[in-house]
Parts: sequence; structure tokens; C-alpha cells
Amino acid sequence: MTTTIITTAPGRSAGGTTKAAGVDGPRLFNRLCATCLTLFALIWLVPFFWALATSLRSDGSITQHPTSPFAGGWSFHAYSYAWDHYPIGWWYLNSLVISLLAVVFTVGFCSMAGFALAFLRFRGRGVIIALVTAGLMLPTEALVLPQFIEYRSLHLLGTYWALVLPSIAAPVSVFVFHAFFRGIPTPLIEAARIDGASWWRVYASVCMPISRPAAATVAILTFINSWNAFLWPLLVLNQTKSQTIPVGLASLVNNSNIQYAEVMASSVLGFLPLIAVFLVFQRQITQGIATTGIR
Amino acid sequence: MTTAVATRSVPEPVADTAPDRPADSGRRAGLLLSAPFLIVYLLFLVGPLVVGIVLSFFNTTTVKSGLGGWVGLSNYTKVCRDPLFWDAMWHSVLFTLFTTPPLVVLALAAAVLASRMRRGRVFYRIAFFAPYVVPSSVVALIFLWMYTPQVGLFTKVFSGLGLPVPDFIGSTSGGWTAVTLMTLWWTFGFNFVLYTAALQDIPTDVYEAAAIDGAGPWQQIRTITVPLLAPTTSLVLILQILASLKVFDQIYLLLGGGPNQSTRPVIEYIYDTGFTSYRGGYGAAATMVYFVIIVAVSAAWYGLRRWRAADTAAPAGTAA
Amino acid sequence: MSGAMARRRFLGLGAGAALSAGLAACSSPLASGLAGAQPDTADVIFWNLFTGGDGANMVQMEQDFRKAHRGVTVEATILGWGNPYYTKLALATASGTPPDVGIAHLSRLPLLAAAGLLEPVSRTGVMELGVTADRFTPAAWQKAGVNGTVYAVPLDTHPFVLFYNVDLARKAGLLNAAGDGLKDMKGGADFTDAVKAMKDASGHYGAVMSITADPSTAWRWFSMVYSGLAGPVVSDAGTKVSVDDEAMRETFAFLQSLTNGGLMPSELNGSGANALFSTGKAGFLFDGEWQIPSYRLVKDLRFNVVPFPALLGPKPVAYADSHALVVPHNPRRSAARTANAARFIKSLLDDSAVWAGGGHIPAWLPTQTSKAFLDQTPQRNYVQAAFDAHYDPPAWYTGAGSDFQNTVGATIIEALAGRTSPKNAVAAMRSDLKRYTTTRPPVTMK
Repeated sequence: MTTTIITTAPGRSAGGTTKAAGVDGPRLFNRLCATCLTLFALIWLVPFFWALATSLRSDGSITQHPTSPFAGGWSFHAYSYAWDHYPIGWWYLNSLVISLLAVVFTVGFCSMAGFALAFLRFRGRGVIIALVTAGLMLPTEALVLPQFIEYRSLHLLGTYWALVLPSIAAPVSVFVFHAFFRGIPTPLIEAARIDGASWWRVYASVCMPISRPAAATVAILTFINSWNAFLWPLLVLNQTKSQTIPVGLASLVNNSNIQYAEVMASSVLGFLPLIAVFLVFQRQITQGIATTGIR
Repeated sequence: MTTAVATRSVPEPVADTAPDRPADSGRRAGLLLSAPFLIVYLLFLVGPLVVGIVLSFFNTTTVKSGLGGWVGLSNYTKVCRDPLFWDAMWHSVLFTLFTTPPLVVLALAAAVLASRMRRGRVFYRIAFFAPYVVPSSVVALIFLWMYTPQVGLFTKVFSGLGLPVPDFIGSTSGGWTAVTLMTLWWTFGFNFVLYTAALQDIPTDVYEAAAIDGAGPWQQIRTITVPLLAPTTSLVLILQILASLKVFDQIYLLLGGGPNQSTRPVIEYIYDTGFTSYRGGYGAAATMVYFVIIVAVSAAWYGLRRWRAADTAAPAGTAA
Repeated sequence: MSGAMARRRFLGLGAGAALSAGLAACSSPLASGLAGAQPDTADVIFWNLFTGGDGANMVQMEQDFRKAHRGVTVEATILGWGNPYYTKLALATASGTPPDVGIAHLSRLPLLAAAGLLEPVSRTGVMELGVTADRFTPAAWQKAGVNGTVYAVPLDTHPFVLFYNVDLARKAGLLNAAGDGLKDMKGGADFTDAVKAMKDASGHYGAVMSITADPSTAWRWFSMVYSGLAGPVVSDAGTKVSVDDEAMRETFAFLQSLTNGGLMPSELNGSGANALFSTGKAGFLFDGEWQIPSYRLVKDLRFNVVPFPALLGPKPVAYADSHALVVPHNPRRSAARTANAARFIKSLLDDSAVWAGGGHIPAWLPTQTSKAFLDQTPQRNYVQAAFDAHYDPPAWYTGAGSDFQNTVGATIIEALAGRTSPKNAVAAMRSDLKRYTTTRPPVTMK
């Protein structure tokens, strides 16, 4: 990658010096950019605040003065209504259990596999790498139908495991660990081996403790992806109280709902925890996205 | 870290870094350590693929156990001859055509502008990326509310600007507008983050050199930044196209594929035939046809990229 | 057990105080999520697809059950009408976590039954409670059977009926001597004359119906008229097109004679039809009886509802469907739960006079002949329609809200709007039907 950058850069920039802007040009330009971008970013935040403002109003004042969020006073009534009428607590619990199980197993299994592929020579290693690489290209979301039939015959439908297992099988996580472990200097591993540590010890007490960045990336991305999954949980978990947050809230879409405040209160309850997680881990999350390109 | 390239170029099955060890323990440990992942991977990622291929040759009922009768290739011929399948395929492509250009161009523009800012980068990142971590159904609820006739925010903004207010949920063109706007808001941050990361890898002295040469900010962007981002753009583009072709959530939640199936994407076609009508075998065949198209698109991209890389690498090699 | 307790406590901590209270009370959805059993969040889990007035009536009936059966809890879930509901019902049953009782349209029953998703009624214990064939509208009970096995307990019959504006009918001289119904009409010509008289009386239109983007209504109207002349459009469990070309051409010609002659608007959506009938600009409305509650809300509108007279055939025919109660198949459902489900079904039947408030004809004869029902007008006017009911032909693709109705309905709309001739409409119908009959059924239907 870097070679292309270096080869193309000078060639193009040499020809690009035709017109020089005025002395104040760059500064003016930058200020203009800043204004535009800030405006753009503020527009991006509007839906969040609109949902929040709507959720705090009463349905009557919403229909009468739709665009003046301050009319009619604010209250938390819609929240208590939403909490009482939809099993949001259960939905949270299900989402949480599923996402945590997915994180624990994904970090565990994928780091082990990444370790093995990075440090160990064993028969079938090449095959595994080829298989897992090919897996990167598979649009797994498209496979829900055969997946459903397979899980049905294994009697896994209706359980959390039906949602946990597919996230463990994500090849990207293995590659994140693999890439990280390859960056660990081999002398460190050799020293541990000479001290008589088993490969398991090397993995568990030498490599894992220092691979926190990779584990964090995998954990956070796995968590968000499994929390936000929609189609597969829609197919797999059907009882009202066994659904996840996204699927449970989707059932409010269908009803021709005119209880705007209540629906928005549920939406706010749906996005707040994730926004909180995001605000805390925003650096890791965006970095994780940038390094893996997982959607 | 360079963007996505890092993980994508890692898998080279050359085992040169593995230290020389008494082979035995390494062999056993390697197998044991990779076994848990491998088993899950084979069962639950490769498994569905194999199951799908098998099912597509049978008249399987989705909700009943057993394979059903062998039907040979007839599921495939029916899928390929079903105008509704190709309509659905076209809708997925249409969605890709609607969303990809703004998502790539706007993300590029915003990232380039943000990279020039000294302050507020965290704010931009949060503002643009926050929607991406929100579940699709929550986004749909919020946007449905904003699209509500008479009282919705979009309705008010459109009529405030003197624009005709489209029937966001009831008409095909309004529906596409609704889905495109919602997707733009929801996934924009993803591309923004990829571009921002790539921009951080551009050394500042390139700009300094250009500034000494007298290039204004606009020339810098046009002649340095954008060309240097070409590899990232290519990556963003393919990720965007692949993700867009997989569209389901937004259209299903906002429009239910309607009105009258005029926006139904291909995944929803598979959902309708496979789950609503229980036609598992047929749905599996449709899955496979779609699957081949997706894999062909990504393979074409990989091929193109390799070909291009070879093309640009050759002159560089001779120059050096 | 202590392991489960520890896990529960741990999760409670993670999820916050609000959840731990819920967990202590009942942990079954969590346990079932981990182990895969049906979550026993209530004694009877009931799924339906009713919103609006029907939804309110159903809630009332659930309340009545709770009052009469203290200690038996009912959890009702309302899902999106049509395909979303049926998809969910099928997936839940296939996943082994179905509801204990569900609503199903009898027109959608053939596929549900053939796929093995439903428990035969004889195995639900409901018959021991006195729910037997002789106590139901025969047409509904017969439709509840598939190949000789009964899979559903019909709750109602909801036919396509004729609404008329009483004042306009009087003005047009269409009322009978008693003034509580229409004068006898014999055949299509009489009916056309009546519509003409209504047009003169209203000064605008004789009749209205929802046509634009409403394939279901178009199909109901077409299907009713056509059924007077010929048998079902598909036969052999939906594998054969059995269209009588001449009868279908005649049907289309009759439908077009009403819409093309200015007696009825040929392009009108549901709210347009509602507006015209509500304001006395149309004398007749062709629609389902479930619209009655919404017209009751219209001020100064005096209307009545009767079954359609015989139009093209010798005998009156009513296009209808039925809501029915089903017990989805679940091998792990305990005998106690099944017994509760049976009691719940029986209670809904006994309480179906409440249900009739939505316009539906109770299928349960004890209610149908009870004072509580017979006091309801106009519902009692069209009880006969339940006995003349014609349902969608049995096939894996037919039924309420199905793609089939949308497809053929779209063709019928073209004909109603006058954009295609009767002859071409027949050809178009044939090709629509062929698409379905030649598709391999996902389950064996015979």
C-alpha cells in the first residue's frame, strides 16, 4: 500500500501549483469549512434530540404543536408507560446475556485460534488459514435460510446459543488476534518455552495479558454487532419476552402507532445504553472499525 | 494502523514466523488451540453454506423436519425465471445506486474537512458515528416518526422549504427517499471513520511541501489528499456496495418492501419465499443465486485491485 | 441450582437494580433462552393480530376470562396483521416456542395444517368442554377441517356485505315495507337498477368500494360474484387452474357495467370510499362488516347492513373468512397448559357476543342464537351470510393478506378501473393463477 502512495504523490502534486489563493484565502477557507462541517454535524445530531424531546412531551401537545418542542411542558410519563407496557427489561436482559456470551466465547476461541495460527506449525494450518480467509468474503447474513434449517435440526432455535454461535464463527476476529500476535517478538515466546512453559501457558499467561488492545477491539465490535443484529434474532427468538432489544422494539413499528411520545421513549431507551457505551469507548470503537472494516 | 488493508492482507499461508520447536508439542497444541474455533466455524459458518447447497436441490419445507423430495435443478430454473426474484435483485441494486454515491462522497468530504480542523475532531467523530451504533429498529422508529404526515419533522422541513412533501411511506418514490435518507444518517459514520483513519496516515510534510509550492487548501485537497485516498476510496466503495446489496433492515422496517413489493430487496424475497411461504428449498436456491452474485462482485474487486496493484508496482519497480 | 442462582445474581448486577427485581420474580425466559424450553411467562400465552376496535374487544374478552378464572394468567401478544403474523407463528412453532393459543384465518389454515404446525382440535381437550361440530355454523366448521381432521375452533364468520344509507334508500324507494331492510332483489339486473336508483337519490354515485391499491377488497368482490356462477378458481389443493372462462368473462363484464357506467367510481381508495359513503354521496358501500364500528362514529349517518342478494347465479353467495382459535403444535407443552388453553378457547367462544360488537357473526351457535347477540343490529341482519359463506379455495398460497390475493387482486383492479377488457382480464387471471398452480407446493396438501 505504502509504495503506491509514495509513487503517486510527487507526480501529481508537481502539477498542482498553478493557482495560489490570496494571502487570507487558506484561513478563510478553513473557517468556512469549519462552519459547514459543524453545521453538518449538528444536523446529524438532530434525530437524537428530536426523539428525546418528543419522548418528554405529551401526545396531545405533539399533534397540536409538532415543531415546538417546548410547548406543553415536559414529563417522564411516556417512559413509565413504555416500561410498563413493553417488556423492555426482559429485552435488555436478553440482549445483554447474548452479547456477553458472544463476547466471552469469541474472545476466548478466536484468540486461541489466532495464537495457534501465529506461532505454531501444525498439519492443516494452511488449510485453516485458507478456509478462514475465504470466510471473510462470505456474505453470511444472506445465509439465514439454510442457517435456520440447520439450527432447527440441531434444536437450537429459540435459545440464546442460536445467536451466540454465529458471532463466534466470525473469521475477522481470528485475524485481528493473528495480526496482533504476529507483532509479539518471538524471543519473548522462546524465553517462556525455555522456562518450560507449555504452549497453553504461553498463550494464557504470556500472550493474552499483553494483547488487551486486540481483545478490546474484538470484544467491543462483537458486542455491538450482536447487540444490533436484527434479521437473525427476528427469525430465531419469537416469544415476546425472549426477544432482544432491536427485535422487540421493531414490533412497535408495525402497530399503526399514534402514541408518538411512548414510541420515542422506547426508542430513547433503546439507544441510550449503546450511546453510553459508545461515548466511553468511542476511540477504541472507531479504531476497531478502521482496522477491521467489519460492518 | 492502516485501514482494513492490514487485516485483509495478513492471511498469507506462509509459516515463516513460527519458531522452530520440537514439532510434536507444537502440532498437538496447535490443533487443540484452534479446535474450538474451527469446530464452531465449520459447523456454523461453513455448515449453513453446505446445507444451503444441499437444500437447493430438494423441496424442503422450512418449518418441517426432513429434506423433502429431490427436485434436481428445478429450483434454480424457477428462481432464474421468476420475474419477482429479478425485481427484488434490481431493488437491491437500486438501493445500492441510491445510497453509495452520497455515502462515499459525503464521507470523503466530511473526513477531509474534519482532518483540517485543529479542534473538535472528537465532536465530529461522535456526531457522525453515534448513529451507527444504534440498532436499525430504533433508527426506523425515530425516522418513521419524523416521516409522519402532517406532524413529522421531515414533513415540516420539506414544506417549510417550499418543497413538495413526498408520501414517504405510501409511495414508491417517497419510500426510496425515506430509506435513502435514513440509511445516509445511519451508516455515514462508518465511511467517515475509514476515511479519517486513512487521512491520519498521510504524512504532514506532503502538505507542507505543497504549501511551500504555493498550493492553496483547495488545491491541496484536490491534488494531494483525494488522490492519496484512492486506495481507501476503493475499499470504502466495495465495502459499501457489498453492505448495500445485503440491505434488509431499513426497507423491511420502514416499508415492509411495499408499497406492493415495489421496494422489496432480495433478502426480503428470500425471507418471503423461505419463511412466509415455507419454501425452504426454493429459498435456498434463491440464496445461492444471490450468493454467487455477491461473491462475484467481491472477487471482481479483489481481481481488479490486484491487477491495479501489479500495474502500479511495475513502473515503481523499474524506477527504483 | 446454586449455579443458576449465582448466574442470576451476576446478571442482575450487570443489568441493574430494576431488572434484578424482575429476575427474582420469574426467571423462565432467561432459563429457556439458555436451555431452549418454552418460557412459561404466563399460564396461557395467546397471540393475535387485532388492533383498533377488534383489538379492544379481544382485550375485553381476555379480561373476562381472567375474572372468571382467578389464578390463570394470560399473556396476549399482538403482532402485525397478515404475513408478519403468520410468519412469526410458523417460525415460533418450528422453534419449539409457540404460543399456547393463536388466532388464524380459516383461509390460511390449509398451509398451517399441512405443515404440521397445528394440534388437531381433538387432541386439545376442548371437545371435552362441549365444543363440538354441531354447535358451529356448518360452513365455518367445515372450513376448519383439512382432509377430515379439524385443526381450528372457528370464532366468527366475517363476510363481505352490502352497506346502505337508510335515508337514500328510502328516497330511492328501495326499503321494504317494514323499513328494516331492502326490497327483494333477484339477480344482477335488479341489483343494477337499485344502484341506479341510489345514484339518482344521492346525486353523485350509486355505490362505492375501495379499489385503488386495495387488492383484497377487489378480490372479495370479484370472488363473491364469480362464486355465484362457478366453482373455485383453483382445485386439487391449488395445483390446477379450474377457471370457467365464460363465467369469469361474465363476472368481469358485470363488475365493469357498474364502474364504467358512472354508477360507481372506478378509481377510489379506502378513505375516498369512506368519505363518499359517510357524507351521503353514495347509497351503497361494498365492504367487510368489520367496517361497521368505524361508520358508527360518523355523525348523522344512518346506515344498515345486509347480505348481498344473488347477483349472477341463482343463489346468494357471501365471500367470507373466519377468525379461528388454534393450538400450535408443541411437543413439550404440559397437560396442564393444554387444559388452560382449552378453557381459554371455550371462554372466548362463550364470550363471543362481545366479539360480535366488531361486526362479526359468532360461529358458536349458542352465542349466535343468544339474546346478547340477537339484540345487536345490524349484525343480526346478515347471519345468513355465514351459512352462505364461500372461502378462498384451499391451497398453500391462498388466504387473508396473502401474496395470492395481492396478485389476482391487482388484475381485478385493472378490470374494475376499465383499463382492460373482460376477455383480457380472464387471460390475465389465468396467467396469474398458473404462476401459483405450477409452483411446487412446499408441503403435500392432499
